[in-house]
Amino acid sequence: MAHNSTKQTYQAWRPSGAWITVRKAVQYLALVIFILFFVLSRQRSVNGDILNIPMRLDPLLTIAHLFSNRIFLVGSALSLLTLLLTLVFGRAWCGWLCPLGTVLDLISLDRWRVPDANPPRESWRSVKYYLLLTILFAALLGNLTLLIFDPLTILYRTLSASIWPALDQIVTALERALYQVPFLSNTVVSFDTWVRPVILPTEPVYNRNALVFAVVFLGIITLNLAAPRFWCRYLCPLGGLLGLFSKVALVRREVIEGCKGCQLCTQVCPTGTINPDLDYSSDSSECTMCLDCLEACPRGGVAFKARMGRSAWREYDPGRRHAIATLGTAAAGVALLRSLPEFTREPPHLLRPPGAQGNDFLSKCVRCGECVRVCPSNALQPAQLEYGSDGVWSPAIVPRLGYCDYSCRACGQICPVEAIPALTLEDKRLQVIGKAYIDKNRCIAWGDNQECIVCEEMCPIPDKAIRLEEKQITSGGSTVQIQLPYVERDLCIGCGICENKCPVNGEAAIRVYIPGDAGLPF
Amino acid sequence: MAKMSRREFLQYLALGVGGVSLSQLFASCGREKETIFPTATRKPVKISPTDTRKIPDTAQPQIGTNTADLVEEVETSTSEVRPKPTGTPQGSPDLVVARGGEPEEIVRLAFSALGGMEQYVSKGADVIIKPNICHAYYTYEYATTTNPWVVGGLVKLCLEAGAGRVRVMDYPFGGTPEQAYGKTGIQEQVQAAGGEMAFMPGFKYVSKEIPDGRDIRSVEIFDDILTADVLIDVPIAKHHSLAGLTLGMKNLLGVIKNRAAMHRNLGQRLADLSSLAYPTLTVVDAVRMLMDHGPTGGNLDDVKQMDTVIISTDIVAADSYAATLFGRQPRDLGFIAAGEDMGLGTSSLDELRIEQVNASA
Repeated sequence: MAHNSTKQTYQAWRPSGAWITVRKAVQYLALVIFILFFVLSRQRSVNGDILNIPMRLDPLLTIAHLFSNRIFLVGSALSLLTLLLTLVFGRAWCGWLCPLGTVLDLISLDRWRVPDANPPRESWRSVKYYLLLTILFAALLGNLTLLIFDPLTILYRTLSASIWPALDQIVTALERALYQVPFLSNTVVSFDTWVRPVILPTEPVYNRNALVFAVVFLGIITLNLAAPRFWCRYLCPLGGLLGLFSKVALVRREVIEGCKGCQLCTQVCPTGTINPDLDYSSDSSECTMCLDCLEACPRGGVAFKARMGRSAWREYDPGRRHAIATLGTAAAGVALLRSLPEFTREPPHLLRPPGAQGNDFLSKCVRCGECVRVCPSNALQPAQLEYGSDGVWSPAIVPRLGYCDYSCRACGQICPVEAIPALTLEDKRLQVIGKAYIDKNRCIAWGDNQECIVCEEMCPIPDKAIRLEEKQITSGGSTVQIQLPYVERDLCIGCGICENKCPVNGEAAIRVYIPGDAGLPF
Repeated sequence: MAKMSRREFLQYLALGVGGVSLSQLFASCGREKETIFPTATRKPVKISPTDTRKIPDTAQPQIGTNTADLVEEVETSTSEVRPKPTGTPQGSPDLVVARGGEPEEIVRLAFSALGGMEQYVSKGADVIIKPNICHAYYTYEYATTTNPWVVGGLVKLCLEAGAGRVRVMDYPFGGTPEQAYGKTGIQEQVQAAGGEMAFMPGFKYVSKEIPDGRDIRSVEIFDDILTADVLIDVPIAKHHSLAGLTLGMKNLLGVIKNRAAMHRNLGQRLADLSSLAYPTLTVVDAVRMLMDHGPTGGNLDDVKQMDTVIISTDIVAADSYAATLFGRQPRDLGFIAAGEDMGLGTSSLDELRIEQVNASA
């Protein structure tokens, strides 16, 4: 039975009690650990297999990856723990563990919400199911583009592209200013040695999507103005997945004899699932087990009991018709994407992380952004539309912003789904990311006939993939002897340090292009 | 604590932001506007008659810095520039070449021939050692970064001479500093010797004038390099396509930010930089030399074991001697010619007192 007219006044007063204290402690601890793993991911000493644990706990990523690749990774087994938790305790992940959920609780915007406004309609709850089903059907068809809506990846991406770099800018500006003050300079230096490189990077981090991710993140938070935990109620596909599993959860909220209909529980419930018209019962696939109602009820009318059996199917829950509709949508969407030119001619500068080049990379990458975060030289950036709409926010190397360091293999170590293979350093040095080509019109040596061999100097290949030929050039009446660089393409691995360090401003005079001949595998 | 009202919060925020902006304004008043290098086309370096002026012997041994009052011929006019060393104490050789034995032994041998580290490091001195930590690709056997035991040996000698603090720093062009410090093995030896590895954070780079600069007149350079009491430049002798060889003068590039621009008219620009950041001592690590494919290296076939260390207060002389180990004529290298013509030192090795010492083993 629909109850679009539930008037719920979610007051600024929040209940307190032992259970709530425990829940908040667990929430904050989980968020701190998430952020700690994020911070530590730039350290080379910590194991990638440990640092990607938060992502591997996420069953949406795991199941979508499984559908898309038909293989189950051993590392993904961690997400079974989350599913087990859900089968026992319902959406406890959402209420106790999800870092994005905790952020939404912390920035709940309660004080700014219009008190008596009607919350959005109950039917909106089905949006998250539509999104979930579209993700899963698209995954069956090999497309993982919509995984950008996963909550863990949203928070991780925002931290790594927007929040941390901006924080670094603020701290650096303060350091620069306060260093000028004579009696403070020693303090600034000590502070700096403590903070870098562990917490903040030694060089500023530049990410092309810093603004976009920040806007998306702020948008999600701003949605709290319409209803508390708006994202979790109406949009989150992971919430939808866990919600479906919660239909058969063991422990559920129940209303017992003490209830006198005072509506306090209805008012404090963050997901707004307590329905006065249904005797104050709640939907187990919407309840995040926050236990606020338990502590708020003055008469002990609420209990959480273990029960076998399936919860009632609500109006907004996905039905057969919805499933078929989303299957059609997913198929149509994937077919539309396949009609874009990227599927016949690759974009010229599409450079993937080492070992990840290939057509099926996009069907493995879960868009978590961990590789972008871990890359010590800023080489990995979120791809935008220029590399194909289906590759949005997947990782790409942008040599002008950063090179693939010859001594690094961090991206392969952290990828939670092995879309970037974890290679030994020797093997990683053999992977061809691309091939460098010299633009002789812009090159200082070729175009201006002046000495410059920075590209050759920087090339890390032991036998040098860039060589020099001595030539006598006569120009303007005088003859000079200069060295001209050329690329030994068989040796080039496309790491991009030549393009990165080329002193020509703007577009570099040596650029890395996608490897291989058209029609031949590279 | 009572909850702050919104107004109070905004007032504090405005105060904070205003304070920071104001301090930035004052700070920028004192700082020079950073000048990008002039659009110098390749000017031929003027060949002046070879400067045969010797580095003067002074009567008393010179200890530490602040030699302004003791020196007659130093051309630097401002105290912002590192003072050019006035040479080795009377009776000591101008340049020492030590051979044989373990790296640390070679260094100690060289310094005892030079007259001891105490001549250069006074009690409580702030010492910076600037090795070559250019990337994190290989370990020390590949001769691409300074030998860790040479650096460790220098740290020990400085501390034994009574230095207050010994810091070792560089900024690699490939990889992050924290990676490179570890991979090269230098961090381990420096910390074992009692020194500290320091990072070079961005906010400590200051724009400095180069009063004697012939091509570049200013550069952004790491603050402490100019203010430290003692600067020891410890390059590893390597092949380099543009410079010919990368030695003491080229190693100084590690202390500035904008290195790409330095690669135009490289020889003169290195000389200009050396005139600003003249090291107290130049210690050329030729324990292993990289004979080809420098500066990145990667082929053990390109490495030649020489077990040699060259030390001098004259950076041009040290680089000149090292050049001969590669079979090159010193003045064939642009930076040596430019440095000598600016009066930074001499490349005429036969005019110097050179002491060659060999380990007995």
